[in-house]
Formats: sequence, structure tokens, C-alpha cells
Amino acid sequence: MNRLGAAPLLLLWALPLLAPLAMLLPAALDGEAWRMALAHPQLWPALALSLGAGAVSTLGALALTLTLLAGLYRSRVWDSLQALAASGLAIPHLAFAIGFGFLVMPSGLLARLFIGGEAPPQWVSVQDPWGLTLSLALALKELPFLLTAGLALLSRGDAALQLRQACRAAASLGHAPGSAFLRVVLPPLLKDLCWPLIIVFVYGATVVDMALVLGPTQPPALAVVIWHALNDVDPAMNGMGLAMVLLLTAALALVLGVVALLLRRARDPLHRRLAAGPSPLSAPRGLAVLLGAAALLILLLAMAVLVILSFAPRWPYPALLPPVADGAAWMKMTAAPLWVSLTLSLTAAATAVALAVLWFETQAPARDSWVNGLALLALALPQLASAGGQYKLFLPLGLTGTVFGLFLAHLTPVAAYVLIVLAGPYRAFDGRYVAAARALSVSRIRALLTVKLPLLKAPLLTAAAIGFAVSIAQYVPAQLIAAGRFSTLPMEAVTLAAGGNRALTAAFALALATPPLLAFLAAAMLGRPRWR
Amino acid sequence: MPLTLTRRGFASLVALTPFLSTAHAEESWAGIEKQAKGQTVYFNAWAGSPQVNDYIAWAAGELNARHGITLEHVKLTDTAEAVRRVRDEVKAGKDGSAGLIWINGQNFHVMKEEQLLFGPFAWDLPNFALVDTDGKPTTLVDFAEGTEGLESPWGMAQLTFFADGAKLPAPPMSMMELLDLARDEPGRIAYPAPPDFHGATFVKQALAETIADRALLPLAIDKDDFREATQPLFAFLDQLHPYLWREGKQFPLTQAQVTQMLSDGELLMGLTFNPNEAANLVSSGTLPATTIAWQNRGGTIGNTHFVAIPVNAKAKAAAQVVANFLLSPEAQARKADLKVWGDPTVLDMDRLTPGQRALFTGGDAPGAVKDPARTIPEPHGSWVPLIEAAWLERYGA
Amino acid sequence: MALKLEHVSIRLNDRTLIQPLSLSVETGETVALMGASGSGKSTLLSFIAGGLEPPFTATGKVSLDGVQLDSLPPEARHIGRLFQDDLLFPHLTVGENLLFGMPRGPRPARLARVDAALAEAELPGFGERPPHTLSGGQRARVALMRALVAEPRAMLLDEPFNKLDAPLRQAMRSFVFEHIAARGIPCLMVTHDEADVPPGGRVLRLKDGEVTHA
Repeated sequence: MNRLGAAPLLLLWALPLLAPLAMLLPAALDGEAWRMALAHPQLWPALALSLGAGAVSTLGALALTLTLLAGLYRSRVWDSLQALAASGLAIPHLAFAIGFGFLVMPSGLLARLFIGGEAPPQWVSVQDPWGLTLSLALALKELPFLLTAGLALLSRGDAALQLRQACRAAASLGHAPGSAFLRVVLPPLLKDLCWPLIIVFVYGATVVDMALVLGPTQPPALAVVIWHALNDVDPAMNGMGLAMVLLLTAALALVLGVVALLLRRARDPLHRRLAAGPSPLSAPRGLAVLLGAAALLILLLAMAVLVILSFAPRWPYPALLPPVADGAAWMKMTAAPLWVSLTLSLTAAATAVALAVLWFETQAPARDSWVNGLALLALALPQLASAGGQYKLFLPLGLTGTVFGLFLAHLTPVAAYVLIVLAGPYRAFDGRYVAAARALSVSRIRALLTVKLPLLKAPLLTAAAIGFAVSIAQYVPAQLIAAGRFSTLPMEAVTLAAGGNRALTAAFALALATPPLLAFLAAAMLGRPRWR
Repeated sequence: MPLTLTRRGFASLVALTPFLSTAHAEESWAGIEKQAKGQTVYFNAWAGSPQVNDYIAWAAGELNARHGITLEHVKLTDTAEAVRRVRDEVKAGKDGSAGLIWINGQNFHVMKEEQLLFGPFAWDLPNFALVDTDGKPTTLVDFAEGTEGLESPWGMAQLTFFADGAKLPAPPMSMMELLDLARDEPGRIAYPAPPDFHGATFVKQALAETIADRALLPLAIDKDDFREATQPLFAFLDQLHPYLWREGKQFPLTQAQVTQMLSDGELLMGLTFNPNEAANLVSSGTLPATTIAWQNRGGTIGNTHFVAIPVNAKAKAAAQVVANFLLSPEAQARKADLKVWGDPTVLDMDRLTPGQRALFTGGDAPGAVKDPARTIPEPHGSWVPLIEAAWLERYGA
Repeated sequence: MALKLEHVSIRLNDRTLIQPLSLSVETGETVALMGASGSGKSTLLSFIAGGLEPPFTATGKVSLDGVQLDSLPPEARHIGRLFQDDLLFPHLTVGENLLFGMPRGPRPARLARVDAALAEAELPGFGERPPHTLSGGQRARVALMRALVAEPRAMLLDEPFNKLDAPLRQAMRSFVFEHIAARGIPCLMVTHDEADVPPGGRVLRLKDGEVTHA
């Protein structure tokens, strides 16, 4: 344990991450900002909408994940689940939102297939006032993330074996497979899913891009109101936005706190149910296959639609295919932003993994919750607020408009995801392998490099791929911190999307999806253990 | 500034001032051009349109070849990003990251008020002499705020509607006719929710068409007068909204979304600030060739968009050369070309040589406005926040 | 030549697991420390090998061949270990596992030592095989050879036969002690099975933190 080992992470990540708080503090004391925020006619309904979308999407994604895991546990398709989840994870949220939107909107593919007629039906699908379309899309998009997290536990060498044996023991005690899963596998699974679930909830309640595409406008989600306010040229509006950020963050903390409290109180009754004796509950295999196939179909259709849209300047209702197709949107792409993005994101992902390993190697596990809290903060704060705070920190340091400043700004969310994703598998590593190596006269560093890291190859690569995917989708840092000096792929994509040309947006969304997809596939292929 | 002046009188008063110092300007212009050589200008400009981006890329090439200036397009989704950046930089005493900003309206007001702009420089640009300051008074008055030479006009904008002529052969030529159309076709009309720029303009257009005394619009207004003056406006909107898309309970987010819904067939008409956008969308294939565009019979809200130089810009000389180039007949003609961008020129055709005039090959393309209506200037800046707040209060949640 | 413990005591947070214990394991001698699970036996081995981690703490001194070990990192102590599991590195082949701890030298000589070790383990030609293709007994033999080719000056055995099935266990016991005896090094074993103790081995019992000589 070396205290100094925490320094790089604190300096490069925690410090720039905490900078926005210094900006939020004056806002917390700014009476005028609070007065404006509380007088905003959309505040409370928008807050309710945000929390509702977060909660509904989290519960939906959890229900889907558990059904799939319970129904397909130890079945033939189990091994392919991992690859499917990884590919789903690679799809950017915005890309999925656009594709999904075109499936369900009144002039969308479903209406064309099943309704037809001259003019589109007047469905209340996208932009429904309750945010249900948004919640459903979020749940579907987060399914791969939760599946990946769950599979990480159920496929990890040591744990997988134990759970399989425990299931066998449960079966010998008269439990049907469904009952065995519920009573033996589910408890450790939910424990491992705790942080991912919090992330999903916080993400759903603070997302802007998907809410802009699929969410209602009167009122919009609070994150959208905040986004507009922080973007405003009027400093008073910015102040109001920051007050709303504090309010939203406090509301999220409150909800999580209440849920934690309720779960604690529910522990005893839950445990009584766990020990309730054998039950003939079967695994929901049929339901899992049905839901899994449906989710896969929607993901595939959404992406397929995106491909068609990228070639279609116009696709009027009720045509099943665009009347004309051209590659105009794809011709707008240039290679330079791609290289900038690839270099930047690879560096950020690699650095984040290195910093995380350094942290885990030098700090006691008890301190992880501290880092996880910081990471959650990094993910919960709206980027305009966090990057805005970083901008104020970087400006006097001369870091704005520089590559290093841009890199640091990218590191904030990337390291947050990497730390959260890596903590579980890294801390669960069987330390006796290292002890065995060191008993063979091998130094600590060499044992780390030749035994521990190679054995943790799969989770390390997955974490790096997630970090890479997070980094390559970053827009705000390039715009704000780097003053637009370095043209990145998302900068091109988001500025063009502002113009609303759907073919262009679709093409760039696909272009944005490709590098992470390749990264996840590479991680899945390189990370596959030879020894299994 | 005396706001009691009538618009015309006010405009011609300021219009005189640019030409007082011409001789002096010519002398120093050569010096500015010399100084500009080798400088890099970071042009912070909204980049949501590939046509605009391509045009700026073309200008960059020309400026490099002619003046040895490097023009870098810093692509924005929202001009406010650049304004906030300049404000923070000036506060921190740092050099500017922006060399030139595409700007108008509230962003200009804020920068002018907070003294974040370099200048006056615009009226000293050699090509400014060609600007149609009489016929297009908004080249000198930006949303009822005098430019005072702190920004150089770049292009003209006027609220314009468009639709598929095959589905809507007789378009509504006024807000009242629009209400009739909405009654006949419920759920097929929409406008973006303010504070979206186009949504706010739609409401301002409705205000201009419903207000009892239009002479109030160029004047500053307080809350009480506003409430009285906008009674007819909100009465009209209350009537209209139940027949809008989603019964006026949800609104599209942006003008682009309205255009997309028109293209998809979900809505009947779209709206734009660029009179040539519909023609442009026809040529790019987003809208069908049967598209028509129109402006309301009694005129529509119009304004000018500008370029301005932040007070902390590093390459001020080169930025002025860029602004002057953007005003050149050649650059203006290319910009006005429907195949390039279709942004109407700020120049006065009468002040151009026949050769320069010939560059403007404006033709009658499908989707172009047939009978341009007169421009109604933007109301005074004090109306805008009141309109937005009142709208949000009534229809926001 | 001996492994010496002086007043070694092990604590878990503020609870004392092992009262101060002094002990000497002589060259060629095997000492078996017996006690219930959770009594701190394995923790003691971790302390001797270096690498005790919180929440455990220890006081006292350990020396090997007269050299104080306390400030040395694990890799400099030259103490070999066997665990309940074989802990063969799954990402390396059997041969690479053997090479992992072998002192540096000319490559042909090292490869010859691998072959010799495989012959001793009765696994000739298994060098290229990944560990997971071996049976449990085969893996256990490789694990011992891996520890021994590192040329340890003492061996620590942590219930090494616990996870093997009964017929295999007896064969492994004689295999392990035969090869350790051949090296003539001190060997300290913790176990809860009397049958693990080799003939001539000294037995200590750990109860309520106190060590009694049987």
C-alpha cells in the first residue's frame, strides 16, 4: 500500500473532476439563481419526468436483464450472449435514439408496415408527454450494459464454477432451475449489479441527447431545461441552470438514499423468502427467448433503419423504401477528425486503465467506494456544468485550446467508467496467484506484469473498450475546453446534427458507432482466455 | 440612443456616418491588408448546414490564395458557446480563441453591452460602400439595436414558409388563413417551441399580425404594456393551438425537426429564415420538386446576420480582411447562388458595376419564393424575453 | 541452516490469532502445524513468505539461514510455497510455468532443467501443454516442481493435499516429501489432517492461539 500511488489518479482525474464543484458552490449561494430556478414553470414537472424516465428505464432494463440471465443461464445460447451484449454496448445512445425513433414515430417504419394510408396516423409515440418512449428506448439501450455487467460475474472463472456447483446443490435439494437461480445466483448477481444499476438510473435521469430526440418538450426532461439554460448567453440563465443542476443532483441522491433505506428494511423479509424451501419454479426460458429475440430485433432494425436513412435525402410516408438514394451524406466525411478522435480516445482509454490499475494496486479496497462516489459524480453532473467548471480551472492555467487540456477533459468520464467497470473483477482476483509468483522469486512489478495483468486481460480490455467508446462520443470538451481547435468526429457529427439533416446525422451516428464496435469486438477476441 | 426616433429616420441617420471617413480609411486599409498576411483567423460559426460549411471552406481557399490568410472554421452548434468563451477569456485577461464570430440578435446585444467587441470597424471596410443600407435597414440595426459598426453585415434573412404544392396548392398567406387551414387539417401544422429561434420568430410574426398598434414594436416595452399589447396575440394562439400537431400540447424542438416532419409527410408546412432554403432543400433532395415557398401577404419578420470581431481577437487585421472579403460582390454572389447556399445578399445591386451584377445569376428555381413580401423589422429586444416567458408560462407544461 | 521464528504473533484487527510463537525448523526437517480452520495457520505462512495484508498484522522476527527476512520483499526471501490449489498460471504452458521461477542462465541449460523437472514429475513431453489439459494429480506435481526449480531455501506448504481425492492424496504425500527431502531444506506445513504428516515429521498443535508441542 503506497499512498503516493493514488497521486496520479487524484491529480489527473479527481482534481479536474472536482473543479466544477467550485463553480457550483457560488451557484448554491446565489439567491437570484434559486429564485429563477424555482419560478421556472417547467421545473417540477420536468424533474418528475426526469426521475420517472430514470426509474422506469432502470427497472425495465433490470427486468429484461434478469429474465434473460435466468432464462438462458447454462443454456446453449449463453456463450453468444456476451458477444451480442458487447455489440449492443457499442451503439452510441444518440444513434440508437434516432433509429428507434424512426421505428415508432407516426411516420415511422411500424406505421408504414402496419397502418399505411395517405397520411401518417396521429400516434402519440415519440415525444409522448409521459416520456414512455424515451424510457423504453433507454431500457433497451441499457440492456447490453447490464447484461455485460451480469455476465462478467457469471462468466468469471472462479465465481462461475462456484455458482454452478451451488446450483447443482440447490437442485439436489429439490429446487427447480428457476428457483435455484432466484435463490442462489440472484443474490450475488444483484450485489454485483448495484453500481451498474445506479449508473443506469443516473444516466437515464440526466441524459440530454436521447431526450432531445425521443422525449417530450412541454415540459422536457429537466436535463434538457438545464442544457438550454447553461447554453444561454445570459449569465443569469447560466446561474439558474447551475441551481437546477444542484437540485437534480440532490433529487437523485435522495431517491438513491430512499431506495437504499427501503432495501435495507426489506432485507429480512427477502431473506425469509430466499430460505423458503424448494419450489418447482422453472426457468423462464420461453419468455427469455421471446424478450431476447425482440430486443435483438429492435436493436438490429434500429441500426438497419439508420443505414437506410443515411442514404435517403427523403423518405416520405408511406413508402417502404426511400424513392431515391444517394451517398451525399457519406461524402461529407473527412478522415482528419477520425484520426484526431482515434488518437485521443485510445490515449484516454489507455491512461484511464493505467491509472485505475495503479489505484487498485496501491490503495486498500476500502477506499474504492470513495472513488466510486467520485466516478458517479462525474457521470451524474451534466457535461456542460462539469466541462464548464473545468474550463474555468483550465483557463488561467493556459490549458484551454491545448491537446493536454482536451485529453484531461476526456479522462474525466472515461476514467469514471473504467474505475467502476474494473473494480469488481480486479478486486475479486485470486491474490494467491501473485503470492505464488512471488514465492518463485519474482518481484512485485514482474508478478503484476507477467501473471496478474495477463490473467485479468479480459476485464482490462473490456474496461478499455468501454473507456474508448465513452471517449469517442465526447463532444462538449472539444467544443468548450479545446475551443474547437481540434476537430473531432463527434464535433463534426453534433454540429451537423444541429442542422437537423437526418441523412447526415444518421451517417455520422453510424460513423461514430463503428470505432467502438471494432473496439468491443477486438476486446472480446483478444480477451478470450486460451486456457478455458 | 433616442428610441423615440422613427425606424426610417433612425436608420438613415446612422447610415450617414460610415461615409464620413472614407479617405482616411483607404489609406490605412492597405496597411491592414499587409498586416493581415500570414495571420490565422478562427471563424466561430454555426455549422449545422453542409452548404454553409462548404461555402466557408471555399472562402478559406480564396482568402489563402489572395491575402495569405488562414481561415479556420470553428464549428459551433450554438453561437452562445463562442460568446461565453470570449466573456470568460476577457475576464481572465487571456488572448481570444475566436477571431471572428457569425452573430446577430441577442448574442450581438450581449457582446456589445459587455464591450466584448472590437471596433467600430465595419463601416471602414472598403466593400461596405456596396451595402444596401437604405433598402435593407437591418444591415445597420440588429434586432432594433444599432450596430454602430461593431459588426459587418453578411446575409439577409426573412421568415418564409414552405410546403408541398401538390398537397397544399393554396397556402395560407396570413396568420388568420393559417388558423383556417389548421381547423381544416387538425394535427398537421406545428411550429417549434420557443425559445427556439424559429419558434420565437413564428410567435413574433403572429404578434406583428395581431397587435393593434404595430408602431409599438420597435420601442422598448414594460411588463404591463406588454400584457395589454399581447392580448390579441395570446387569444390567437389559444385559438390555434388545439388544431396544431399533438393538439398544441407538444411542440417540435427545432425548425429542422419541422422540416423533417414535412419531408416525412407528417406535417403540411415548414418555416425558415432563409427565403431560399426550400429551393435548396429541393436541390438536395430533401423536399420534392413540387415544393412551394411563400411569405405572408402583409410582410414577414426579417433581419440581417453579421460577422463581428471579439475585442480580444489575436488577428484583428486579418479578421477585417475576411469580413471585407465576405462583403465582396464575388463572395456575396456565390453565397446567394441556390446551388451553393442561397443566402440573400446584403449588397445594393444599383451600387454594383454591370460586371459585378452579372455574377448574381439568381433564377427561378423550384421552391423559390415567387412574390417576396416586405420585411417587418424585428421588435425591440425588450419584447423577446417577455414573449418567451409568457409563452412558457402558458404553454410550457 | 534453519528457518527460525522468534516471538511471532498474528493479529486480526484487535484480536490476537496466534500468541507469540518461537520455532526453529532445521535443515531437512518437516514441521507440521495443526489446527482448526480460521486459527491463523495460513496467515502465519503468509507472514513468513512476506506479503501479509491488512486487516492482518504481525509482530516478531523471521530468519532463514541466519538472515533476517523481515525487511525483505517476498521475492528476495527464497521461500517456496504450495497452496491448496495448484495455482498454475493458466495463461502459460506447463514448461513456461516451470521456467517462471527458475534462476536466469543460458537458455539451453534452462530448457534442460525443464525436461529434467518434467521427468521427475513423471510428465515427460508435457512442456507445451496448457495446464488445464492436465489432471489434478499431474497439475499438483507440476506445481511442486515449479516451486523446487526456483531453488528455494525453505518450503511452506498450505494444506497442499486438501483438494486432492483420497487415492491421489497418498501418492502426492510421498512424492512431495521425497522431493523436498532430496533438497535438504526446512519445510513448514500447515494442515488439519494428521495423515499429511510425513514419517519423522514434528507436529505442533495450535489451539486458542497457543502452540503446544505434541
